[in-house]
Amino acid sequence: MTQFLSLLLNGISLGALYALIALGFVIIFKASEVVSFTHGSLLLLGAYSIARLSDSVGFFPAVVLGTLITAAAAFLIERVIINRLRGAPVISLAIVTIGIDIILLTELIRRIGSDILNVPHPWAGKSLTIGSVGISQNRAIATLVAAVLIIVFFVAFKYSSWGVAMRASAEDGETAALMGIRLGRVSALAWIIAGVLAAVAALFLVGAPTPGVSAAAYTVALRAFPAAILGGLDSTGGALVGGLLIGLAESFAAGYQDQILFLGRGFGDVVPYVVMIAVLLVRPSGLFGTKELTRV
Amino acid sequence: MKNSTMKRGAAALAAVAVVAAAGGCSNKAQDTGSSSAGGGAGEVKTDTGVEGTTINLGVLTDLTGVFAALGKDITNANTMYWKDNKVCDKYDVKLDVQDTGYVPQQGVQLYSGMKDSILAMQQTIGSPINTALAPEYTADKMVNFPSAWAQTLTEIPGTGVVGATYAVEIANGYDYMLKQGLLKEGDTVGHIYFEGEYGANGLAGTKAVAAKKNLKVIEAQIKSTDQDMSSQITQFKAAGVKMVALTVAPTQLASAAAAMVSQGLDVPILGSNPVFAPGLLQGPSADKIKKDLYVASPVSAFDAHPDLLKEYQAAYPDATPSLGVLVGVGMSAIMKQVLDSACDNGDLTHQGVLDAFNGLSKVDTGGVVVPIRGFEKGKSPSLESFILQPADVPGGAKVVQDAFEGEFAADIAG
Repeated sequence: MTQFLSLLLNGISLGALYALIALGFVIIFKASEVVSFTHGSLLLLGAYSIARLSDSVGFFPAVVLGTLITAAAAFLIERVIINRLRGAPVISLAIVTIGIDIILLTELIRRIGSDILNVPHPWAGKSLTIGSVGISQNRAIATLVAAVLIIVFFVAFKYSSWGVAMRASAEDGETAALMGIRLGRVSALAWIIAGVLAAVAALFLVGAPTPGVSAAAYTVALRAFPAAILGGLDSTGGALVGGLLIGLAESFAAGYQDQILFLGRGFGDVVPYVVMIAVLLVRPSGLFGTKELTRV
Repeated sequence: MKNSTMKRGAAALAAVAVVAAAGGCSNKAQDTGSSSAGGGAGEVKTDTGVEGTTINLGVLTDLTGVFAALGKDITNANTMYWKDNKVCDKYDVKLDVQDTGYVPQQGVQLYSGMKDSILAMQQTIGSPINTALAPEYTADKMVNFPSAWAQTLTEIPGTGVVGATYAVEIANGYDYMLKQGLLKEGDTVGHIYFEGEYGANGLAGTKAVAAKKNLKVIEAQIKSTDQDMSSQITQFKAAGVKMVALTVAPTQLASAAAAMVSQGLDVPILGSNPVFAPGLLQGPSADKIKKDLYVASPVSAFDAHPDLLKEYQAAYPDATPSLGVLVGVGMSAIMKQVLDSACDNGDLTHQGVLDAFNGLSKVDTGGVVVPIRGFEKGKSPSLESFILQPADVPGGAKVVQDAFEGEFAADIAG
């Protein structure tokens, strides 16, 4: 039972971070119709900036600055490249984001090298025991922060004028533009928010139990991608559920790998994708995605 | 319309210019190669790679990729060694250092540019690049020293693994743990390992020891990109492991240690040599790692070689020395013995150097690297390993057990 609860807790905390990243994917997709592959490098940029700046300015200012840098990078990508290509086929835009991702990633990896950069979290490697189950304080705080951010986001999405503008432009861009909604501004803000979410996720992803900024942090974003897809790429609620599902599936598959040995060693690694394919076979638009209706 | 055509034309020209510039860079390396044929230095027979009294050796290292820090240390150490040493008291050694960025394709390309001007490879970093170049090294009769310890590398003719293979190394680690009472016969151990040759070779060592000492092994295979070891540690805790073995990278060691602390799994950790990096001692898992990590290693640490540390710091005052320095010095010292022997035989051709390499036995590097018994195809070049423990010293680790041959080594080594 302890093993089950421990894996459950780990899965939820990991899933909450995936949800933050997946939410970024979804917001960008809703606002600019771009499937953004830049998230991996944005995440790494956030982690790298926080780690490097912590030495000189201290932890909390470094978090603020690192988040600003990541948001600024996302904003620049949107303004300088994506916005200028508005109207280009969706597939071209997606490939452009892959290109941007590779350029940014290569530079970051070159800077990081084989070093392990440490972010001096005040909670460091301390842990929290709930009953017989232990979890790192970092992950506990991450789950709380992710929950708060997600709630704030949902409230803003529903009630703020930006939220309404964004929902309108996602529903029907042309009409929204005719109604005076500035699509460019909505899109830019979406990228900034996605950048902030990526930086916050990065802050916790490079703390215990996965301490240190290394090139491998990049791959976490790739795992959040199936989370966004299976939740429904245009559904913010779906990103949350998708993130949790992937986190739990991954945790259980790794923790019970002896019991699922008949599926082959290393099955835990493919779990996010197996879950995604299974869901898409049943619901092609994802769990909460909008069904594409075509009148014939 | 015309304007857009012009723009397109200009963009195409710019693209061609960029490609040409990039091509120019890579051609440059190729052009510098010159082959000197015939004996240019007394009675010693030579072919490519020896010009007058200079021997050219190739270095395919990583200065900009994921192993950049390690690559720099090993290469600096190679350079430092050859500044102070000559072959046969006569030949200077010049290194042709090229950066692969840890990309095999890049490595293959750079090698084809340098192979006509070098006598042997002082260093090739990374199993994937060594494996990619294996057919060419074999065809070109290149003696080569990799900075990886996988069993498969011992199958490449002329390639000299600098120490024991991963299987032998971790088996020696088990021997130490058993002798120190940190592990007992019949215990359960958990082993997290990378998929691929490195992990498989480490796991083979664990399995060989387990068969002899009746250990129960809980295996957890991961990918090198996996970051979070929490689930694996949960599984180990549930199984009641008495020790965790790791054949992974430093990132996973950090995660495993952090998860062990948070889940209260208070048992020692045994690691293959690549698991440790000094940077771990600044992280949140530092206390656990300092207290409980034991690393089986083919090289010693700076506490046993303070002069080497001093020399390195004088030569590279800005660098933070890692144990890669010892690897670099060790592999250069072995190369010197190969070349000295070939020179003594009057044959500094590729074939001559390869023959000298194959004839080598009982290589001593002054305790920097474990004693090498010789390089035979498919066999671990050494049966011995050092045991290191992390500490707040230069290089990040100190020797707790000098080079020794464990009880299981001979059976596994081939």
